[in-house]
Amino acid sequence: MANFFPKWSNWLPLKIAVCGLVTVLGLTAATWYYVTPKYTRIGYQPVQPVPFPHDLHVSQLGMDCRYCHSFVDVAAHSNLPNTQTCMACHSQVQKENPKLAPVRASWKTGQPVDWIQIHRTPDYVFYNHSAHVNRGISCAVCHGQINHMPVVYQAKPHSMAWCLECHRHPENFLRPNDQVFNLDWKPEDVQPAEFVARYGQPKDVSDDWSKKEKLTQREIGQTLKEKWNVQPPLTCQGCHR
Amino acid sequence: MKRVFEHPPEKLTGRRYWRSLGELSDTPEFRGWLEREFPAGAAQLEGDEWSRRGFLKLMGASMALAGFGLNSCRRPEAHLVPFTKSVEWTIPGKPVYYATAMPRRTGALPLIVTTVDGRPIKLDGNPLHPASGGASDAFVQASILDLYDPARSKRYVEKGKTSDRTAFDAYLAELRPRLAADGGAGLAFLVEETHSPTRERLRAQLEKAFPKMRWCVYDPLLSEAQSFGTQISFGDNSRLIPRLERADVVLALDSDFLDCGEGDIASIRAFTSRRRVTSSKDTMNRLYVVENRFTLTGAMADHRLRVPASQIPAFTHALAGKIAAATKDGGLGSVIATLTAPPDAMHFDEQWLTEAANDLVSKAGASLVIAGPHQPVVVQLMVYAINGALKNLGSTLIVREFARNPRTNSVLQLASEMNAGRVKQLFILGGDPVYNAPRALTEDPNSKGALDWVDLQKKVPKVVRLAHYEDATSALSQWHIPAAHYLESWGDALTSEGGYLAIQPMILPLYGGISEIELLNALLGGPKVEGPELLQETFRATAPPGDLASAWSTMLRDGFAAHVPLRDKAPAFNGNSAGGVAHTLWISTPAPTPDSPEVVLVRSYTLDDGRYANNGWLQELPDPVTKLTWDNAAQISPAYARHLNVNTGDLVRVTVTETRLDRQGRPLQRELVIAAIVAPGHADNSVTIPLGHGRKHTGPVGEDTGFNGYLLRTSSNPHFIVADGKGIKSVSVTKTGGTYPLATTQEHWSIEGRGLVREATLDHYREESDFVQRIAGDEELPAKLPTLYTHPPLTAAQQWGMAVDLNVCTGCSACVVACQSENNIPIVGKLQVSHGRAMHWMRIDRYFASAKSFNQDKGQFPENAEMVHQPMMCQHCENAPCETVCPVNATVHSEDGLNVMAYNRCIGTRYCANNCPFKVRRFNFFDYNQRPIGKKKIAGAFGVYQEYLGPLTTKGAPDSTKLQKNPNVTVRMRGVMEKCTYCVQRIEEAKISAHVRAGESSNTLIPHDSFTTACAQACPTEAIVFGDIKDPESRVSKMKKQDRNYRLLEYLNVNTRTSYLARIRNPNPKMPDAGAIAVASPSEHASDESKGKHNFESHDQGALNPEEKP
Repeated sequence: MANFFPKWSNWLPLKIAVCGLVTVLGLTAATWYYVTPKYTRIGYQPVQPVPFPHDLHVSQLGMDCRYCHSFVDVAAHSNLPNTQTCMACHSQVQKENPKLAPVRASWKTGQPVDWIQIHRTPDYVFYNHSAHVNRGISCAVCHGQINHMPVVYQAKPHSMAWCLECHRHPENFLRPNDQVFNLDWKPEDVQPAEFVARYGQPKDVSDDWSKKEKLTQREIGQTLKEKWNVQPPLTCQGCHR
Repeated sequence: MKRVFEHPPEKLTGRRYWRSLGELSDTPEFRGWLEREFPAGAAQLEGDEWSRRGFLKLMGASMALAGFGLNSCRRPEAHLVPFTKSVEWTIPGKPVYYATAMPRRTGALPLIVTTVDGRPIKLDGNPLHPASGGASDAFVQASILDLYDPARSKRYVEKGKTSDRTAFDAYLAELRPRLAADGGAGLAFLVEETHSPTRERLRAQLEKAFPKMRWCVYDPLLSEAQSFGTQISFGDNSRLIPRLERADVVLALDSDFLDCGEGDIASIRAFTSRRRVTSSKDTMNRLYVVENRFTLTGAMADHRLRVPASQIPAFTHALAGKIAAATKDGGLGSVIATLTAPPDAMHFDEQWLTEAANDLVSKAGASLVIAGPHQPVVVQLMVYAINGALKNLGSTLIVREFARNPRTNSVLQLASEMNAGRVKQLFILGGDPVYNAPRALTEDPNSKGALDWVDLQKKVPKVVRLAHYEDATSALSQWHIPAAHYLESWGDALTSEGGYLAIQPMILPLYGGISEIELLNALLGGPKVEGPELLQETFRATAPPGDLASAWSTMLRDGFAAHVPLRDKAPAFNGNSAGGVAHTLWISTPAPTPDSPEVVLVRSYTLDDGRYANNGWLQELPDPVTKLTWDNAAQISPAYARHLNVNTGDLVRVTVTETRLDRQGRPLQRELVIAAIVAPGHADNSVTIPLGHGRKHTGPVGEDTGFNGYLLRTSSNPHFIVADGKGIKSVSVTKTGGTYPLATTQEHWSIEGRGLVREATLDHYREESDFVQRIAGDEELPAKLPTLYTHPPLTAAQQWGMAVDLNVCTGCSACVVACQSENNIPIVGKLQVSHGRAMHWMRIDRYFASAKSFNQDKGQFPENAEMVHQPMMCQHCENAPCETVCPVNATVHSEDGLNVMAYNRCIGTRYCANNCPFKVRRFNFFDYNQRPIGKKKIAGAFGVYQEYLGPLTTKGAPDSTKLQKNPNVTVRMRGVMEKCTYCVQRIEEAKISAHVRAGESSNTLIPHDSFTTACAQACPTEAIVFGDIKDPESRVSKMKKQDRNYRLLEYLNVNTRTSYLARIRNPNPKMPDAGAIAVASPSEHASDESKGKHNFESHDQGALNPEEKP
């Protein structure tokens, strides 16, 4: 009987096994890398030139976000404070603190402080801070509880799917505009009577929410979404131009 | 099998629209452009041995290998760098707008500059000032690129060695007492016209300090004939301002007054205001044009007569005779009394002349005759006399007081001084006389041979040159000083009507340049200026009302000083002095013949006089008339081309022999070898050569593109050259046998289909106000066509749309460059353009129209073609064919009706472009934004190409050009598709502002017509209007409601968002050519109706699903 299979086919099972193994390993490695929070950089916490403690400044001293990020409600970028802003206080307070040496050096030389960017959107994403913070989206929604971070890290994934979670269902995140910069705000803090008097309630809701003991985030969000006519863009041009 | 879509044939109206002679005769080349979205081999990198496929194979293998290393998997660390100190008025990422002005030789244009984070990125007209009304032109739009041009001069040069400001100041300090000693006897200045009051003030100071100095103004395209004619007729310090909004009938004699490149946007707006019809009850002005070549004005004409430029004097004389007979006007009579019509002049159509004259006379006081500034003095005088006879002076033509220093010399006077050795110290501020001064300026005292500027400049011991580029003139100068761009310096200027404008800097000089007024101030020994001191001193003299400081800041805010008075003179035409001068200057030129043609030198629509030669946007901008990029060519008529046996791209030799002798005692001869382009509508026996090309010494972009027409130009024949038996012995044009590749876009992106451009006469429109629907049978289409495609939900409160009024579009191309500047569109280079890879999102389709078909084999040519321009960009179809074929959903529909492009999703299949019936999608074949345009010599080709070198060049654009990019628009990379977005960044910006303003309220609507797209903003005639089509009060909705409104390819059921308003021409029914002008007559229409209907029904209806409800 003639040889049906040529000689090289003896090695075929082994070749298949090796290829299969490489494929499986590759897939495992790719999954490991791409679908874990590491890829979205959750927890990214670089060492900054000055270890600025947000918890101290915001929670203990009670500073508003907009003292330093002064254009967050008017511009697309939330600007970093310039050296002048730091020196407004630190020419009086903590004058000799060695951790502030880079700030003092910057003030003296005119060379800016080189901060490391943590929250980074790709170049083809045109995110606008002012459109969000003026319409009931708090800093905390995207940046987490920055007011309790001694050193800032990335708390949320900032991926497109994550953006769309809110763009599709903004009611899960909206809060009254005066609470946007209050990062500790919770829906339970809202007094239903006061809230309904101010914002009303959705048209298709029959029971009176002002009588409720507590309002949920969803109820607050639905009210605001309807009252403010919130329609986040869902097509490409909202963010990609 | 590929299904070929059967377009319903166009109704046979007897009229044809065509883009090129190739289309008219249906050549295989044209079919190729028409039927393929991308030309054959478009994806191949030229001159490479590697095919794309082979290259990809190799790259695929190496990428796979590289993948094992998994290097560069980490994201790079990014930094955020705030300012150290707060900068006043600066919010990071927010644009700030400043008013300034762009100086031009005919008068400055007021501008608004958009600056982002301290860098100017976009220029637009200042809507507060009537000289621009918010509009601009292609030069304004493109001049932002000049600011960032990396090839601009960056250093002080003394005798070829790099020097610096300190050394130059020392030189001036040493020079000043030396000049003062003899009253500045050897001192001379050669400057360009800028209309700067501050420069005039400093000049007066210089004349006081150095009384014997000479001041010469030279601009190659500025007409001395016109200013001289005005001076004779209306006295010194006069300037004529047309008031076209008052004119019912306009006759232009070789005048391209609708060309916004000359800077007179106010006139164009005034003219088109009388052509804007909103219903069939409106009236329109009428335009007669007599010219040798197609100009933008000729394209707008109701009646156009092809007359060689050298025959315009004879034509004007004949016209003046008719008008004098009809009006019996004394002034006109005395001007033409002594002039006799040249015996061997061209024969003009008697009926044309008579009826045109009758039309002008019947509208006396509301008519206007305009002569081109380049016509000789005698034409200017006759035209002023005609306007006087027609009682137009003071109504459609006003005389304005415009101060002019009488001590200004001409370049000829300066040349003879230089020749005599009386000029010891010359300052050349701007310009490039070695390139653009007239040839044979004067003759050598000994050998009697002719001398050019090069020879003369060598006779001057010391020359100081202030210029943007180290060019040919700088090479012959002792000192070269880098000039500051107008966006980098303080200054002032007057508009063409005399209004006072401030020029304020937007950025510190990028390359250390200084302005003209700073240099003059330094020469005067004034204190060193950093700010607006020189300007403030001039401003103080204008007697601003109230407190000086607040008047000053008001002027800077608005960009102009409204208090400076404009004085009109009594329009008294001096017939006697004009008659005397006309008699002495009368020229009787014989009509040009095929063997002795005329050569007409005109300004380039894209490069002006050559000053924009290194501007890639303008080099690549298709000439609005010939659609030629990166080159100029000699335009000749089809009949003359046949006589010469020449086709487009053949090289011809133009030889001009003078009666003067050269240094060797032979007749002075000048010649130019130039590519020819066959231009329908051109006068026979006439050759038009645009100037401004062929510059040898400028940046790498502009060097060696095109042919230098200045080589033929002398001071006695600056604008047209014809064998008149006096100065010029003979002119000849011969075929050399060589060819030259021309990159013309006239056949690129050709669209198939019916009724693309639609037009009618005013009478026809009045008779049949729905003609626009009937031309292509749109009225026969069912109200709502069934569709297979699920409509995207158009749910947004505001829906965007655009309307383009073809009746006022002049085709000037300001919109094309505005779009390029707003949307970060790269240039691609000549060879890439010739392959159809130009990236312009917006193009202007130029159609010729002729009353009948022609058999070119029998020697028939459409000589009297009309021209129609149609701006073409993404039509934003609601049923977009591109969206259904994208495999990755990179192009989708938005809720507000935009057809949007997500670049980061695009994988470059190009299916969308293939499926686009309008051919408006552009593909990034290479990284055009990343790699510089370099030089590459192509074997076998003539000369050198400006070329994109692909992966072989170093990556990365120059830093300075990156500064120009609009930060709100993605800079696209290789392999992605792009197209017009309706300036989506502006829409989103407006939406975000509306939301920020809304805060806790529900009113998120963008206010009514509060923003517009870049093209609509730039358009000098407001032909493009953009806005919310859901709002019945918006301008675009009102335009779309007009009965002239039509959409392209309606029968394809694509539901475009952009619509066009048909063009209306207003011919005079008594004119001989009236029957051939604009569109089918109603009777012709009716006879073809049945045919059109039949064809529509046969087209592909079976494929549609009858169940599908629209």
